[in-house]
Amino acid sequence: MLLVVGATALWLGLTDASLAYVRAALRPALAASGLVLLALAAATLRGAGSAPARPDGRPAGHGHGGRLGAGWLLIVPVLVLLLVAPPALGSFAASRQAPRAGGETGAFPPLPDPVDGAVPLPVSEFVSRALYDERQSLAQARVRVLGFVTPDDGGGYRLARFNVFCCAADAEAYEVAVRGDATPRRADQWLLVEGRWLPEPPLTSVAPSSRRPVLVAEAVTPVRPPADRYEHNLYGI
Amino acid sequence: MTPTEEGGPVSQVESPVRRAGGEPEGRRGGLLDARLLLLLVVVALGSRSLLAGVFDNPALQTWSTIFVSIAIQALPFLVLGVLVSGALAVLVPPGWLARALPRRDAVAVPAAGLAGAVLPGCECASVPVAGRLRAAGVRPAAALAFMLASPAINPVVLVATAVAFPGRPEVVAARFLASLLTSVVVGLVWSRLGRDEWIDRARTRLVKGDTRWQSFSGTVREDFLQAGGWLVVGAMAAATLQAFVPRPLLDAVAGNHLLAALCLGLLAVVLAICSEADAFVAASLRQFPLDTRLVFLVVGPAVDVKLIAMQVGVFGGRFAARFAPLTFVVAVACALLVGRWLL
Repeated sequence: MLLVVGATALWLGLTDASLAYVRAALRPALAASGLVLLALAAATLRGAGSAPARPDGRPAGHGHGGRLGAGWLLIVPVLVLLLVAPPALGSFAASRQAPRAGGETGAFPPLPDPVDGAVPLPVSEFVSRALYDERQSLAQARVRVLGFVTPDDGGGYRLARFNVFCCAADAEAYEVAVRGDATPRRADQWLLVEGRWLPEPPLTSVAPSSRRPVLVAEAVTPVRPPADRYEHNLYGI
Repeated sequence: MTPTEEGGPVSQVESPVRRAGGEPEGRRGGLLDARLLLLLVVVALGSRSLLAGVFDNPALQTWSTIFVSIAIQALPFLVLGVLVSGALAVLVPPGWLARALPRRDAVAVPAAGLAGAVLPGCECASVPVAGRLRAAGVRPAAALAFMLASPAINPVVLVATAVAFPGRPEVVAARFLASLLTSVVVGLVWSRLGRDEWIDRARTRLVKGDTRWQSFSGTVREDFLQAGGWLVVGAMAAATLQAFVPRPLLDAVAGNHLLAALCLGLLAVVLAICSEADAFVAASLRQFPLDTRLVFLVVGPAVDVKLIAMQVGVFGGRFAARFAPLTFVVAVACALLVGRWLL
């Protein structure tokens, strides 16, 4: 079992596969744990192999430490990874969350410089600025945001992206209502949207609000999902 | 109390001993397990393309993502913890720890709580270590205080808290004090009211091999399988519960102080977030007053679904059924007290 879990951990640590679940910073630790487990598995096999012959004359043979007991359960996440291959959180999870408040009230630092005519912003930063920035730094700016489609009941859609602190278990969805895009979009399709914010007065309290900032789209490009589908912005704090 | 060869003066019922290579029975059983496992993995790998469309349900996928992410996040810390517990079991002479700690619980428990600061990482590391401490002869109350304190007061967690609440060092201090207080109070209550027979000693097996290295690797393997298996149970429970947490209800409660504290405490139990990261989650819960968020920070590393499951695995169900509610109540109370004073 250590072999199986260790190999899985090493694979997760060395490839991008873990990015759907945990932060990239954990990858070295995962790879290291994988190596430790594999080394232990090897030690167990070798150690049992060189144990003195048992009184009943059977050689140690293939050798193993003993029964797995509760350890059997460790196969479950491995099987789920292999068989279900769960994707990063998407529109289903996003639609089940109520919109959250996220951001410091008051003044935000100035917007970053535009690249190719638009300011690239993470969705969580766009939402925070739109809802809370007293100086309204987003007004007049052409911005570019990357996110996935979460269909609205009314036929439109929201552009969403999850912000993750530790692992997918604490993910929070940030959503932007997109207007001006007539093309029907599939759920979970990834889009790069350029446009302008529809100004609204900032929220004055940190109480949760059901308001979603509006982005009036000027150019929408379907793109391939990024390797890391989550944002890791502490900006909202 | 009769001294035994396994470790210091402990009560009569002792942990069973296993040889690292496994007796013939155990080895044959282990061989069967290994073959079954291999078969399972091969079949799973082979049937991936066949089963391509079967698991497409989005609810199932969301659940799976959360479940797998909790398991993966915990894994490196679990490995760290069992390496430490294995080293403890093998490198520290039996009985030394029990003799090194003060005799009287009233002193041993706070000492053990403070000692928790040396084990970095989340609660997944502390449970197997505490199990081994107890098996090595440390008084249960002290081992439990260590187990509660270490996930909350180690440097990694305190630094993370400082980063999540910039410019507010009193939050870090409050977390440290409240968690330490919780671990000491629970330890002392347990030393008074807890009974040794509630802990299932058979769950922590001593593994003795021909060489120290064999004992070490055998112990680590045992601890990893046991704690890891139960960690999976906890992760599944947490993923399931998460699907049912009504977030809008949570927001509605923010106004009522005591209710908010209780709700955040329960949320901490249900969400089972690693203690290095829960500070960021707490920081994002802006609509709640600061001392109720402290409740979230103190309850999380002390009792949550993941921890309860692992405690069942290492100490037994009878233990967990008493220990978890006790810890929850004490944690909420300590957090509110310290919060009122410091925040």
